[in-house]
Amino acid sequence: MMPEPEVWSLERLLTENLGVTSVWATPSVRARVAARLPFPVRASLAELEPETQTLIVVGGGTLIDLAKVWRRDHAPSLRLIAIASVWGSGAEGSPVAVTHQAGRKIICVDRSLVPDVRVPWLDLAESLPPLVQRRGCGDAWSHALEAFMSPLATPELRGETSTLLQFLRELPIGSDPRWFEASVAACRVQAKSSVGLVHGIAHTLEGLLATAEPEFGWGHAALCSTFLWPVLCLDAALSPKPQELCRQYGLSWDAFLSSARSLFEEEAYDRALPVLEAHWTAVLRDPCTRTNGVLVRPGHLDHFRLRAFAA
Amino acid sequence: MPDNRDKLRGLLLDVFLLDPKEFRWDLKRSQIDTWDSLGTVSLAVGIQDVFGYHLTSAEATGLSSVEDIVDALRRKGVAIGDA
Repeated sequence: MMPEPEVWSLERLLTENLGVTSVWATPSVRARVAARLPFPVRASLAELEPETQTLIVVGGGTLIDLAKVWRRDHAPSLRLIAIASVWGSGAEGSPVAVTHQAGRKIICVDRSLVPDVRVPWLDLAESLPPLVQRRGCGDAWSHALEAFMSPLATPELRGETSTLLQFLRELPIGSDPRWFEASVAACRVQAKSSVGLVHGIAHTLEGLLATAEPEFGWGHAALCSTFLWPVLCLDAALSPKPQELCRQYGLSWDAFLSSARSLFEEEAYDRALPVLEAHWTAVLRDPCTRTNGVLVRPGHLDHFRLRAFAA
Repeated sequence: MPDNRDKLRGLLLDVFLLDPKEFRWDLKRSQIDTWDSLGTVSLAVGIQDVFGYHLTSAEATGLSSVEDIVDALRRKGVAIGDA
């Protein structure tokens, strides 16, 4: 059994005896975090004192993953408390970390990566722009749907994921505290199977787009939200398998398509498409693409180029 | 209409991202750098998509050459003529 972090309220975090504690927070929320938490806020892990006993990391999936890997590799006795600045990645509750090595994304799954404690902090998430909140929903949807359709998913895992997918359908696309729990659950099910083409696209393009258009707010969640609907349409066009799986587990494929469509961002798609075309071979080689529920072939770029999903 | 041999050739080119010029029916797994564990997963997914047959995990991991894939499909009843 993979360990799970304890879940604390913000009030409990403020009253626990944590020993020597530092906070590492992403710039977008650093001021709010510094105003609320009575601990020194560091700009980097290099600034931590050697006697630090507790590290509180506050940020998105990338920052939390960095802290998880750093703790595993450099300070295994440190208590790690993870606070997601917004829902979506589920990094605060999962054994998965995505890191970069020589420009490539490396996915690690390791029980020692699970934080000791996670703290849902709704006010913090609600202080972020609605678009960031929506994209977090797309991130969680992508994890859950790709895990469900993964060729590596067992019938038991699909059963567990189908319950989660029904729960996701009840949630609004936008602010709702239940997204924190749903995101962690979605991340944990994909850790037990795999993700697919949506993540293959996101992992290949996110660094390229963030560098080329830093003002646009590109990131993993933006790409997952934008490409989920086109990819689901491709899967369904290629194989009856997605609909059959849904029927088998009492789910509605059309309902999932509808949710995915509501997450789609036209402008983001238009901006990302030329980069997708230029890097399609890299997308095909991405490990996530290679565990998509339906085989993705070189010629399937036309589906995206011709916007076949919007027909 | 492509016959099953053509379908399989196209599938293997796409699954393993091979250049058509480098494809041979006597290729071994060790000669295809993209035929790793993920390649085995993709191959199993592709065989199900194209031929409608599910390879068990043991069957898929036991394949070590293109000839093995042909033999496995023939055992499932897929008619594949000789090259």
